[in-house]
Amino acid sequence: MCELPIKVVCRANAEYMSPSGKVPFIHVGNQVVSELGPIVQFVKAKGHSLSDGLDEVQKAEMKAYMELVNNMLLTAELYLQWCDEATVGEITHSRYGFPYPWPLNHILAYQKQWEVKRKMKAIGWGNKTLDQVLEDVDQCCQALSQRLGTQPYFFNKQPTELDALVFGHLFTILTTQLTNDELSEKVKNYSNLLAFCRRIEQNYFGENGKGRIPLRLA
Amino acid sequence: MERRGGGHFRGARGRGGGKMAAPLELRCWGGGWGLPSVHSESLVVLAYAKFSGAPLKVSVIDNTWRGSRGDVPVLTSEDNTVSQPAKILNFLRKQKYNADYHLSAKQGADTLAYIALLEEKLLPAVLHTFWVENDNYFTVTKPWFASRIPFPLSLILPGRMSKRALNRILLTKGEPPLFHLKEVEAQIYRDAKECLNLLSDRLGTSQFFFGDTPTTLDAYVFGFLAPLYKVRFPKVQLQEHLKQLSNLCRFCDDILSCYFRLSFSGDSYIKAGKSNASEDISYKGLGTME
Repeated sequence: MCELPIKVVCRANAEYMSPSGKVPFIHVGNQVVSELGPIVQFVKAKGHSLSDGLDEVQKAEMKAYMELVNNMLLTAELYLQWCDEATVGEITHSRYGFPYPWPLNHILAYQKQWEVKRKMKAIGWGNKTLDQVLEDVDQCCQALSQRLGTQPYFFNKQPTELDALVFGHLFTILTTQLTNDELSEKVKNYSNLLAFCRRIEQNYFGENGKGRIPLRLA
Repeated sequence: MERRGGGHFRGARGRGGGKMAAPLELRCWGGGWGLPSVHSESLVVLAYAKFSGAPLKVSVIDNTWRGSRGDVPVLTSEDNTVSQPAKILNFLRKQKYNADYHLSAKQGADTLAYIALLEEKLLPAVLHTFWVENDNYFTVTKPWFASRIPFPLSLILPGRMSKRALNRILLTKGEPPLFHLKEVEAQIYRDAKECLNLLSDRLGTSQFFFGDTPTTLDAYVFGFLAPLYKVRFPKVQLQEHLKQLSNLCRFCDDILSCYFRLSFSGDSYIKAGKSNASEDISYKGLGTME
């Protein structure tokens, strides 16, 4: 969205290369910056920003919605990946442990699962059932859908960090194959969110080759 | 008192549909320093109940009261027990005590977003100020809570609450590269100050966040800010920052004087202490004070 020239590279040890242990991270010259927040700050310091045109109240709103996405969507994604037994058994364990030899693949997967479960318990999601989590996701999508309304982007004509964040989460939810499709069904209930994802995919990841990997929305 | 939304049930009087409301009892932590409760979550529920006109029988936890103190605040009606503020508020809404009925869909969405902001950015620092910062915890928080819990639980429960708070902070905010507690502390206070600034920007000069009737969001903001504003701590960096944001302080004071002038037991308002000379605010939604 900022029209910065990037090269996307996939690596198995990406999490270890990152300074914070999290992906994605960008490598610019001799600097490495990870995670959305710091990357946005870094890019802003270099003179590219999507949210300069917003006033103070709008910036506050944008930050609040970004926290909503982090609070609900991200936590729900983590829950589904690591606390739902069906998904864990069939997909997550094998996917996470894939690059490692036995028994490391099992050990690391169990360790990560234990860590995630601890975190869920600390924030009060430990006792939630899958249905309650899906209901929370639905509430979050409803809020996003209502905020988006009929506009092309969340702050009308120009995309901002919030659009990027929402696109990232929704697109992943819509295109990742899981044991059950309830999560993506929840998102699909909101047609303006679907249209939003398609629009961003076409405008920014379309055939004119802005991204290295062509993304396809089912 | 006119209400938009026609026949939608409003307030404690005139229960629409002839439904006999089951008595609602709320167990929560008590008050101090001019607040009806010093516990954020309890305060959120109390404020919401006032805003929506829900008649709550409030049972304050004290030395003689028996029962679990782990999961407070807890709302009980005749056949339901609900804990956690979000669930309690949902339950009250289902019982037709709805403070948000006049909000548009977008405002409802904004409410969710701002509550998420509060929980992610402000709550860790509030927890830290109360439960983790040693000076504050040992001189103020622990004695206060311990004095309201019978022995021998008073030896265990405050410590457990403190540990739970620290756990929550470290697990949600203490990820690499912030390995040391000091660095986590610096980050969460930075986030909290930014959050307070954002709230102040958003509130501006209005009386409440969505016009002149208080809603769920006002209950949450009040619940988180009021203890920070009023409780006297030795280590006060966040409190100092809050005091500079005069519209947020005014917001808390307004709610306290409008909705909480009476003490719980419904004693006459002469007891409230200082007389509120600026009392030309009409009691919207307060009706006959419950």
